[in-house]
Amino acid sequence: MNKSKSKKVSLLSLTLILLLSVVLAGCGAKENNEAAKESEAIKSDGTVDISKLDPVNLKMYLIGPNQKDLPKVQEEINKYLKDKINTTLSISMIDWGDYSQRMQVITSSGEDYDIAFTSSWAFDYLPNASKGVFMPLNDLLDNYGQGIKEVLDPRFLEGTKVNGVNYGVPANKELAQQFVWRFNKKYVDKYNLDISNVTTLEDLEPLLKVIKDNETADITPLAVPKGFKPFMPFDFLLGDELPIGMYLDTKDYKFVNILESPELKSALSTMRNYYKAGYVREDVATLDGIDNIKTGKWLVDREITQPYAELGWSRNAGYDIVTRPMQDPVIYTSSAAGSMLAISSYSKNPERSMMFLNLLNTDKYLRNLIQYGIEGEHYKKLEGDYIEDLPAMQERYAMPGFALGNMFLTSLHDGDPEDKWSSFEEFNASGVVAPTFGFNFDTSKVKTEVASVTNVAKEFIPSLYTGSVDPDEYLPKAIQKFKDAGIDKVLAEAQKQFDEWKATQK
Amino acid sequence: MNVFWKKLLRNKGLLLLVLPGTVWFLVFAYLPMFGSVLAFKDFRIHRDGFFASVLNSKWMGFKNFEYLFTTNDAYIITRNTILYNLALIILGLVISVTFAIILSELVNKKMAKIYQTGMFLPHFLSWVIISYFAFTFLSTDKGTLNQIISYFGGEPIMWYTEQKYWPFILIFVGIWKGVGYNSVIYLASITGIDKSYYEAAVIDGATKWKQIRYITIPLLKPLMIILTILAIGGIFRSDFGLFYQLPKDSGALYPVTNVIDTFVYRGLINMGDIGMSTAAGLYQSMVGLILILITNYIVRKIEKDHAIF
Amino acid sequence: MANTTIQARTKVGARQKKKADYNAISPLWNTLFNILIGLFAFSCVFPFLFVIIISLTDEQTLVLEGFNLFPSKFSFAAYEYIANSGKSLLTSFGVTVVITVVGTVLCLVLVTTYAYAVSRKGFEFRGFFSFLAFFTMLFSGGMVPGYIVMTQFLHLQNTLWSLILPLSLSAFSIIVMRTFFQTTIPDEIIESAKIDGAGDILTFIRIVLPVSLPGIATIGLFASLGYWNDWFNALLYYNNPERIPPLQFMLMQIEKNMDFLSKNAHNIGSYDAIANLPTETVRMAMVVLATLPIVMAYPFFQRYFVQGLTVGSVKG
Repeated sequence: MNKSKSKKVSLLSLTLILLLSVVLAGCGAKENNEAAKESEAIKSDGTVDISKLDPVNLKMYLIGPNQKDLPKVQEEINKYLKDKINTTLSISMIDWGDYSQRMQVITSSGEDYDIAFTSSWAFDYLPNASKGVFMPLNDLLDNYGQGIKEVLDPRFLEGTKVNGVNYGVPANKELAQQFVWRFNKKYVDKYNLDISNVTTLEDLEPLLKVIKDNETADITPLAVPKGFKPFMPFDFLLGDELPIGMYLDTKDYKFVNILESPELKSALSTMRNYYKAGYVREDVATLDGIDNIKTGKWLVDREITQPYAELGWSRNAGYDIVTRPMQDPVIYTSSAAGSMLAISSYSKNPERSMMFLNLLNTDKYLRNLIQYGIEGEHYKKLEGDYIEDLPAMQERYAMPGFALGNMFLTSLHDGDPEDKWSSFEEFNASGVVAPTFGFNFDTSKVKTEVASVTNVAKEFIPSLYTGSVDPDEYLPKAIQKFKDAGIDKVLAEAQKQFDEWKATQK
Repeated sequence: MNVFWKKLLRNKGLLLLVLPGTVWFLVFAYLPMFGSVLAFKDFRIHRDGFFASVLNSKWMGFKNFEYLFTTNDAYIITRNTILYNLALIILGLVISVTFAIILSELVNKKMAKIYQTGMFLPHFLSWVIISYFAFTFLSTDKGTLNQIISYFGGEPIMWYTEQKYWPFILIFVGIWKGVGYNSVIYLASITGIDKSYYEAAVIDGATKWKQIRYITIPLLKPLMIILTILAIGGIFRSDFGLFYQLPKDSGALYPVTNVIDTFVYRGLINMGDIGMSTAAGLYQSMVGLILILITNYIVRKIEKDHAIF
Repeated sequence: MANTTIQARTKVGARQKKKADYNAISPLWNTLFNILIGLFAFSCVFPFLFVIIISLTDEQTLVLEGFNLFPSKFSFAAYEYIANSGKSLLTSFGVTVVITVVGTVLCLVLVTTYAYAVSRKGFEFRGFFSFLAFFTMLFSGGMVPGYIVMTQFLHLQNTLWSLILPLSLSAFSIIVMRTFFQTTIPDEIIESAKIDGAGDILTFIRIVLPVSLPGIATIGLFASLGYWNDWFNALLYYNNPERIPPLQFMLMQIEKNMDFLSKNAHNIGSYDAIANLPTETVRMAMVVLATLPIVMAYPFFQRYFVQGLTVGSVKG
């Protein structure tokens, strides 16, 4: 009996060892392609001498649904790139919901690709940068990416440094973040509501009451889903889902537990009153999204703005939407990392990848080609820098423009104000820098605690922040549970890293 | 060695039959299993590919497992996982076998076919769609159940925040979705029973009940035992959608809906830490293996023939 | 061959009739059981009917009235949208059918051969190979190593094989099938075949397979359901824009996208991605289209489960 069992075990392990050796032999020696003499190709005036460049194909992963005409446009792009930097491009699109998971598998498996989209919200920049997924770019930027450094607001690169190293090229777009209240103008006009003085959550009360008292029950006064958070004057450490942050006007530069702040306490009791008064949907705590824009049955909701956002919102909704800011524009670390392109550490051609990224951020023709497709087929040129989408664009080549490098180079659509991009620049310039701007927290030492705290947040934050439960009872409970999950340890580690970082920032 | 070769030769026909399957297992199951070492590593990417990354990552002992146990949620998720799965296994077994027997006894075979096809449909609906559907019953303001309650003068119930109803809802829906699928195995097995047993029983004057009790059920027993042992091995895993989509991820319900899989998902979705997720999977596998070995041992003691190995 | 089947059929028919005479359940119980099972089956069909109704509801009506069994306005717009979306959905449907058929056949070959061998008491490596199969049910290396095997050793990404191979064997099916062989096939027939001089493989093909149809049908049904519903392998292995993925993948992608976009709308901002997503009614229409064909195929497997059509040849 015993004997046969041990034989079984040894037979099994023998097979496994055999297999392992086959595996290791199969993928052992991989060539380490040293960088070519790419630098010789850069002439003294910064232009590229393509006679010195070998032909190279770059593999790029982008977020968004696959587009039928991508191969066609890619061919067009390659013709152009061939002349410019003797390079061709193979673009793979991975759909929104799959992107993070898929990229994680691809990078962990060691598949070699050159460029990928990354951001603070999909294929997360920070953890992947610290895991070593991306290549350090500082030298590459200096040697091959001067154009990028010229066009970008320097705070983009500053904010996306991890331990002083840049791992991604941010897209030039809105840099500052500003929350606004959006109002459905139909009801503002109908009841002659005065929104000019609305800033805080409390300011909304009289307006919400008017709607609740005068309209039928299917009109939601404050139309928000479970992700709603009252505006808090904090610079969040790990996104606004976790209640750790530093006061925006901090003097002592200390991270605090936001749940223990007086601001939150009063905001929660306001929300509780709104919930009880029926200003929000009863099932708000389980509502993933809300289709208020489609139905038009709402008075106010919350959104992040950018210059001329009202125009776009109103156009999409088919009725007028007006806004009131909740805060001044603030530049957070996370808002600088809203959309970036990074070079993979597996890339065999990092120099060429950077040359391409440089073009993408400085070359108007290339930039418009990759986003809008081919002139006459996907769009029609109008007077000035304006274009009109042709039906083929919507059907076969609808690319996510924000993920494709410098947005300020893109042509405008009919109805866009002429000063659109210059107002973006003004908007970015007007932004105030948050106290922890440029600080990127490395969670690896406290990842156990971060995972636990995240779990507690998912349990309590939606129901508390939407007023669905009584804060007098649940806030102390939540605070206790966060403490049990180790929030204090995360706070201490963050403070330690921040102090060290701060000392280097003089 | 000579003995071993002789043994191989003696079994060559059957060995040839297992060969294709064995190759598949080695390539698609055992080869990737080496990935489990990641549970003990602090995974960092290395330029030279996956194997270089694994070799160059630091060992970190059981640190990746810690988050499963540090909070007092560890008790809740373990309790929920085990109790829900036990309920689903036991009720699922009883109901699937009952339905299979009833289906086989219905006089009108055409109707039996129609019922069976119908029972199969929930298997095709994703949990997202079932959760929509459940919502039409459970919604506080528009839900069918609350409309019935208020029709009889009762107070509407906030279904998605009241913990006490959810153990029943989860078990009910879990069984409902799986019964059609599971009863097929038993039905096929009943079909395979030699009819002469029943004919002999009828001649001896046995009632229908006695035939079921003394012929059908004993002949189904090996299958019931095997499937239960297998299910027990999976007791630390749960049907993710049932516990995540159906309660609409409502925080107020976590104490009764949180299971190991949802806990791991919520904790790691943003971090995407491959070491920690491998650790969670490995932990579930280890517990499953231990439970199976114990169950198999007990079964072996009682009825040697019905054990898996 | 054809002759014997006909013979078997008539024999079965005769037996069924005979049995119905004196071993049927009483009409009262029959009615009660019919009501019980009928109600349950209805509860299973009902949500599906509901899905069909939603898919036929006018989009605007759905937004305003919510889900409703009797919507005030019907519309075929969702199905028109799908029909107009061109060839890709039809191709996608074809891909699903191909992987389901090829995969199921492959799975049946792998499962039955393996299961038969480990069901034989005389097989001296029986314990080892049982455990080899069973162990895989518990442990898996996770996504990444599997991905490496498929893409870096076998180089099968973007081929139909990458969708077929990962599902072509399941230890669960082996164990179920093994139990089938053990409980329904008497040792005597196998022994008598051996005495006649047939080898193991010949015995398996000639004697065992023909009498194991209910078991084979079960495994085949499970395998085909697995293939039909699979989307995950396409997620991992399909990344060439010219490869059309299977139907369920498309469906799943839409669901995941809706979820992702509703959570990240503010990050995507200027790009009007959400407006490009198929509407609720289209999603439901896709559910209907992805489910109906396989449900229709179900009776094909089912004829093997209906009592009466059995092991004719065992005794014949």
